[in-house]
Order: sequence, then C-alpha cells, then structure tokens
Amino acid sequence: MSIAVIRFPGTNNENDVLKALGQIPEANPYLVPSRKGSAGLEDADAVVIPGGFSYGDYLRAGAIASVEVIVEGIRDLAEDGKPILGISNGFQILTEMGLLPGALLPNQTARFICKWVYLKVNETNSIFTENLENAVLRLPVAHAEGNYYCTPEQHVALNDERRIPFRYCDVSGEITVDSNPDGSIENIAGIINQRGNVLGLMPHPERASRGILGSTDGLHVLENFVRATK
Amino acid sequence: MITKEELRHATKALGREPTKTEIRMLDVLWSEHCSYKSSKRWFYLFKTTGEKVVLGIGEGAGLVDIGGGCYVGIAMESHNHPSQLDPYNGAATGVGGIIQDVISQGCKAVGLMNCLRFGHLEKPHNAHLLENIVRGISDYGNSVGIPVVGGEIEFDDSYDSNCLVNVVCIGHVKPEKVVRSSAKTPGHYLVMFGSTTGRDGIAGVSFASETFSDEEEENRGVVQIGDPLAKKVLIDTLTELIDEELMDGLQDVGGGGLASAAGELAQAGDTGVDIDIEKIPLREQDMDPSEIVISESQERMLAIVAPEKLERVILLLEKNDTPYAVIGKVTDDKHFTVKYEGEVLARLPISLLVEGFPVPERVEGKIPTQIESLSWFKEPEDYQRAVLSLLQSPNICDRSWVYSQYDQHVQTNTVVDLGQNAGVLEFPNGRLLAFTSDCNSFWCSLDPQSGAANSAAESLRNIVSMGARPLFIADCLNFGDPERPEAYAQFVESVRGLGRFSQDFNIPIIAGNVSLYNEAVVDGQSKRINPTPQIMMAGIFNQRFTPIKRELVTPWANIFLIGETFPDLNGSEFQRIALGEVKGEPPKYRPNWEKRSMNVILEAHERGFIRSCNNVGRGGVAVALMKMAMDSEYGFKLNMDYIPGTVNSLAQALFSETSSRYLVEVTESNQPEFLKIVDKYETTSCELGLTTSKPVADFSRFTIPMDKAREAFSGGLSKFLE
Repeated sequence: MSIAVIRFPGTNNENDVLKALGQIPEANPYLVPSRKGSAGLEDADAVVIPGGFSYGDYLRAGAIASVEVIVEGIRDLAEDGKPILGISNGFQILTEMGLLPGALLPNQTARFICKWVYLKVNETNSIFTENLENAVLRLPVAHAEGNYYCTPEQHVALNDERRIPFRYCDVSGEITVDSNPDGSIENIAGIINQRGNVLGLMPHPERASRGILGSTDGLHVLENFVRATK
Repeated sequence: MITKEELRHATKALGREPTKTEIRMLDVLWSEHCSYKSSKRWFYLFKTTGEKVVLGIGEGAGLVDIGGGCYVGIAMESHNHPSQLDPYNGAATGVGGIIQDVISQGCKAVGLMNCLRFGHLEKPHNAHLLENIVRGISDYGNSVGIPVVGGEIEFDDSYDSNCLVNVVCIGHVKPEKVVRSSAKTPGHYLVMFGSTTGRDGIAGVSFASETFSDEEEENRGVVQIGDPLAKKVLIDTLTELIDEELMDGLQDVGGGGLASAAGELAQAGDTGVDIDIEKIPLREQDMDPSEIVISESQERMLAIVAPEKLERVILLLEKNDTPYAVIGKVTDDKHFTVKYEGEVLARLPISLLVEGFPVPERVEGKIPTQIESLSWFKEPEDYQRAVLSLLQSPNICDRSWVYSQYDQHVQTNTVVDLGQNAGVLEFPNGRLLAFTSDCNSFWCSLDPQSGAANSAAESLRNIVSMGARPLFIADCLNFGDPERPEAYAQFVESVRGLGRFSQDFNIPIIAGNVSLYNEAVVDGQSKRINPTPQIMMAGIFNQRFTPIKRELVTPWANIFLIGETFPDLNGSEFQRIALGEVKGEPPKYRPNWEKRSMNVILEAHERGFIRSCNNVGRGGVAVALMKMAMDSEYGFKLNMDYIPGTVNSLAQALFSETSSRYLVEVTESNQPEFLKIVDKYETTSCELGLTTSKPVADFSRFTIPMDKAREAFSGGLSKFLE
C-alpha cells in the first residue's frame, strides 16, 4: 500500500510519520515534497498530511499550504475514496481546503500547548475507529491552534452522522471541561468527512507509536488507516 | 567598542591606519563575545579531554562518541543582552543560533534546553520578559521541529535589568559525516547560503560586550530577527549537502557575522580568504559594505566547497529555493581580503584579526568572607506553612506553565518529558541519554567557587538519580563587568570551582560560552547579576535500563535518605524566604561524599533495587519528598527523629541543603541487599519511613494533604502570568 506523506515547506513531523507507518506490515510510506505537485501522488493509495508549521503558519495555520498545487491531487484522491489523514497542522490544512468542515481557532489560553491527553473513541461508520470503539487512548497534543469550531448546523450534522471519532476526556473516559486542552467545541479532537475516508486529528498518533515513548495507542489508529487503504 | 589601545595595536601591527571596514571587523572580532579576551586564559583549569571526546571546545559543537557509530553533539550559548531588549526576538534568535552551531558540525539537531533567569515576577516588566521569552523560544523551536528536553528557571532581584537566556542544542552525527569548521585548501570556494543579509544584528557582539546604560532603547536594531521557516528549509537543505558529503568545511554565520565566520575558517585551516562583498544577496537597499561584512542576520551558513563539487551544491541549493552566493575563494596568503566591485576595502592578516588582540589586564578582586552564623535561624511555628511556602516559591514551584508551551515530543525520540530530574532522549544507536541543567546562583553569590562546584554536583545527582552515568558537561558562564575587580573575581572563582569539579569527577567539559558585562547602571548605581555559571550535564544509561523517575510507585515501600545532613541553612531557599535574602556560608562542596552516594545509587539502580529516586536540592528533604509524592497517587508516613549528621531540629532536617544526598524508594524485599551496598561504599543511610496508599504527607509531627500541596506547587508561577 503506497502511502504518500506530504512535506510542505515548514512541515516537521514527516519523518516521525514515516517512521511510525514503517512499523506496520504492508504499509509502504514515502515522502512527497509538495513542490512535486499532483505528479508526486500518481502512485498513492492514501495520503498523510503530517504536523508542523507549513509555510511557517505565517498567514494562518494551514492557509498557505491549502492553496498549493499538490492540494488538487489530494482532493482528487479524497473524491476517489482513498484514505486521507491530516494530523495537527494536517488537520488545519484539511479544514482550510474544505475537505473537512469548521476551523481550528487559536487555543483558548492563546498559548501553544504540549501535553499528554486522553481521547475517548466514539463509534463511527469509518474504518478509523474499528476495534477501538469506546476505548480511552493516550496520545500527546502539540499545537497553538487546535480549538475546533464549526457552525451549529455543522455541529448537529457531525453528531447526527457520527462523524466525531475522538473527543478529549479524562483518564477514566469522562468528557470533562478540564480535560479539554484547547477549548474545542464539545471536546472535539478529531472529525471525519461524510464519506468516512478523510480524518483530521489534532493529537499525534505517530508520537504514541512505541512503548518507549510512553504509549502505543497511536499505532492502533495508524494501523486502521493502513487497513483502510486495502 | 574597540578601545584606543587596541586601535594603536592594530595600527602598529599593520604598519598603517586600518580602513573603516577593517575597524568594524576588528571591533567585532576583538569584542569580549568573540575573542574571550578576559576569560580564555582560565580555561586550562577545566578537564577538557576524555577517552570518548572527539571534539572539544573551539568549534560550533563539542562531539562525544557514544558507540555504535554515533557521536552526540552539544552546544551552549547565551543570548542575554538581546533578550533583555527585545525578549521575543532575542530569545527566538538565541534558539536559532544554537541550532545553527550544532548543525554546522554536520549534526542532526534533536533536542533543546533553555536556562532562564529573571527578576521577581511581582514586577510586571519581569513577567513581560518571561512571557515573551518563553513565547519566542516556543514559536521558534516548535516551528523548526526540535523538542525541548530540559531547562531551568530561577528568580532574583539581581536579574531585574539583566535577564539571562542560556540555550543548549543537542545533536547527533555519524563519524563519517562530521563537518569541520576549517578552510584547508586554497582554491576552494566560499559559498554563503540560507538567507539574505540585512541590517539586523549589526555588531550585536560588541553591544553584548558592554553594560547596559539608559540609552538601551537605541540598541534595539542590534537584535536579530528570526525566521523559523527559513531555518527549517535550511536544515532540510543542509541535510542533503551533508548526506552527499559535498562540503569540506562549514561554519555558521552567527556572532560577528561573515568577518568572524570566514576568519575562523581560515584560522583553523591556516589559509586566507578573498571575498567579493557585492555578491552577497541582500534584503535591504544601500547597505554599506562594512555593514555587510559584520551583519549577524540569521539562518546563514558559510560552506567551503571544492571546485569539482560546486555544480552539485548549486543544483541542490537552487532545487530547495535556498538563497545563496559564491562569494569568494580560499587563498594561501593568510589574509582576509574584502573587495567591493574590485576595490580592496580590507586586507587583514588572519592571525591579527582572529587572535591578535592585545591581552587586556584584568584584576581579580577579593571575594568577601562570609561570617554570618546561624543565629538568624528560628524553628518555624507552623511546619505545614513552611513547607507550602517553599513549594510555591518561584524558585521551586511547578514550571509547567512554561514548558507546556514547548513541543517535547516532535522527532519521536523523547523517552522522559520535562518535569523530571532530567529529560531523556533515545539516540539512533539505541542508547538513552539524560540531559539536565543547574545553577544555584544564590550559593554562587555567597561563594562562587563552592557554589559553582555544588551546582555541578546538583546536575550530577539529577543524572545519577535516574540511573545514568555522567558523560560530559557544557557550560555558559554569566557574570558582570570583567573590568571591575569584584566581578572578575566572581568569574575566576567560579571557573576554579567548575574546573575542580570536572577534575574531581573526571567529566570533560566539551562546549561552552562566556557572557560578561551582565550589569546595568540603574539610577546611577551599578547593578550586577548573581554569578551564574550555568551547567548542563549529560549522562548515559546502561543498555536495556529503563530510566527511573522521581514519583513514588508502590505503597508500603521504604523511603531511605542517603548521605549525612548538616545544618546547611545559610544560602538555602528556606533562608531566602525567612529573611528575604541569602547570607553566610553556603553548603560545602564535598566531592568524596558525593562520590560515595553516587556509587551507592548507581549500583542499586543497576541491580534494580530502586523504584523511584530524587536528589535532595533546593528546599531540602521536605521539597524533594513532596515532589516524589505529588506526582504520584501515594503519600508517605515518616519518623524523622533521627537523621545522620549534625542537625538538631526538625526544620533543620527538613530544609537543610547539604549536598551529596538522595532519597530512594526501595521495596521491603530488596532492603537487605540495598543496605549492603550502602555499607560497601561506607556511606550512611537512614530509613525515613514508608510510602502509603493514602495521599497524605505525614511527617509525624505535622501532615499535609496532597491536594493542598499540589495547589501550592502548581500556582507558584501561573498566578503572576496571563
């Protein structure tokens, strides 16, 4: 399964994602610098947009990357039903592209936040949450703009269509105000598109992919992603 | 600025008046910051060599062999003056500069640390400095994608007008990919790349080599502006150049600009350089050639490239859209020649430019003897209050307001996060290394020699308590005006202390930096920082050893105190809170006891007897124990009636800061074997009590509910900050 891992100028988690995916049998991740354009995606069965600070996040997180030429190639793959995963800055880019609804506003504290969080997994129609339903995962976050916001209509649709796979929670799985690191609506940490093949996620699964790092919970999410490419 | 005497010396050496460009070049290279003209003469006191040391002090980064084809690289530097003036950009470019030092040696940058000093946060300006410095470090380091794995903060009035920002960058490199900072071969090209050149940071090093005056606002233009995106792209480009082994030499363009970078490359290679200044891509109009030579604009590198490799280098630079120019050649005339459209603007012998300064006379004053007794000491009436006031002291309390703004996990090598005794990173050869930093400037203000040695000992205990063996030291020596005898004496005494420690423990010092002139004239009075010899230490774990953290992990385990306790309350945080100042003789540096305790802890770790461990430092046994308990689900129940040593009250036992002590959690079944190790190294231990499943700190004569302790600990900094 060929998984394109995109690097925009300023992306800085590409090697972490390549390393984590490399642990999964049958995943064949490879780096695609964004300047290659859609041509770089010709062989891709799936796409990961890793975290970082694409174009320095100079205008608004993800805004400049979302109008690069390669984005059209990502959009085509999404329309073909190929799995697309945006992590952190990648999630921001997916919302800027319009592949996912809503926006990621600056954190409520107005400060960057790096910490380990717990995520409650909700059942969805997508493969991303398979075998993880109702689990409590431990993953790190690291972002300045992770405060998920959408219109009330979009919010209702997300809930009705079971498109909120991950919410911030406490260690026992309770969705509490204290466990929300950035002020997101309803503790939203990740959402999927209507078709269920595009996932945007603020926490970093690749940073919880080996026991020595303190958790392997992220690896399960990535394994589901790889399985979805089949 | 260059002194009259130095100018006379240059004129005599040249046999003519130096040109305008030459004066500016000499000014920056002969500044204290670039030349170390007051400090270098003392470095012979340091242990600088060792079996594993590949490259010591002198280039961008020190390198140490950790086996399996992996060298670890380290660089440490101050960015104090710029951060005082423009906290956000000053701190950000400090991080940018230190990363550049490490990558210019061919290393991949894998970790950052920062050690900060401020005046007390009750003064809004200090809170403003802290907030913006942290944001500057956070924005820059996070964007470039290098995790922060360690750091330190301390607060004292002496830093009111001179905050300190010391930064560390950790890297690694394969032996065959090391790039040296030298230009050995005449005919090779000088290629400058990474970013364009502007007026930011003109002669920043000269400004950093003077004390602040009331006109400091005028100096803001000397602070560089960072561009983390340019740095990230530069790192990606550099990685490709290093992988293909296309560079024969490399130097980052930092303090002193091109004049310093090219001068040092030629000095190291015993060659000369010939530079056409008009070829350098500029970001500002109408720059004077003399400004271009000394500009400290960030994210620029200077590479030495053989003619047959030039085409490939240019191809890679163009492919990555990296601004670059071939700006000149290496020569055999041992001169630094600067030309502008063919006209020679400067032609200085390298030996004169780089190390030819007249060595200034410096006078070492006398350090006042501390005569204060313990007569000030009074047993507190309310012990609980005394412990809580220590836990919320800004010099002890929870730092997560600061470090939660730093990405600690990017690159996915972080094994132990911030908030422990040391941060731990995994290296490509599978080895784990611990990194910590320390300096107790209060001890150093009372006795710079023992204070410096004891600060290093504290770093050692941080490393050892996690189960690692000390590997190397880097330092950043922050002091006042070396032209004043008192300040110079503090510097020299601290170097003696650190030198002594490095010899006593056989730990090489492989990188460092000196920052002098950290004083300011405030209302006509000179105000000097506490002597701050900032120490950073790395340790290495045995293979397959899991680093031990400080939080308690089991109920009903024994808690032991290793080492003797003396009434070391002078210079302590307890004294500072009680009196509002420190005085008297600080805790003694006791290398022999320190070694014995270290050996006990290391052997007990190796045999797996220790469940959790903390070193006893600021705030004494009370604070060390509370930190072990607050991070855990457990509490403890103690009996402190008998403590080995000479303390004669509960408060002395709780708050003394005697060195060479550790607290360890040992399960009942391992206790006999553990005590045999204590005997083997002829040290003393005492069983303080047991861990309990109830989250209460029970000192028998008083108790503290853990929630109350956590509340005090967590609010110490955040209550002053937005």
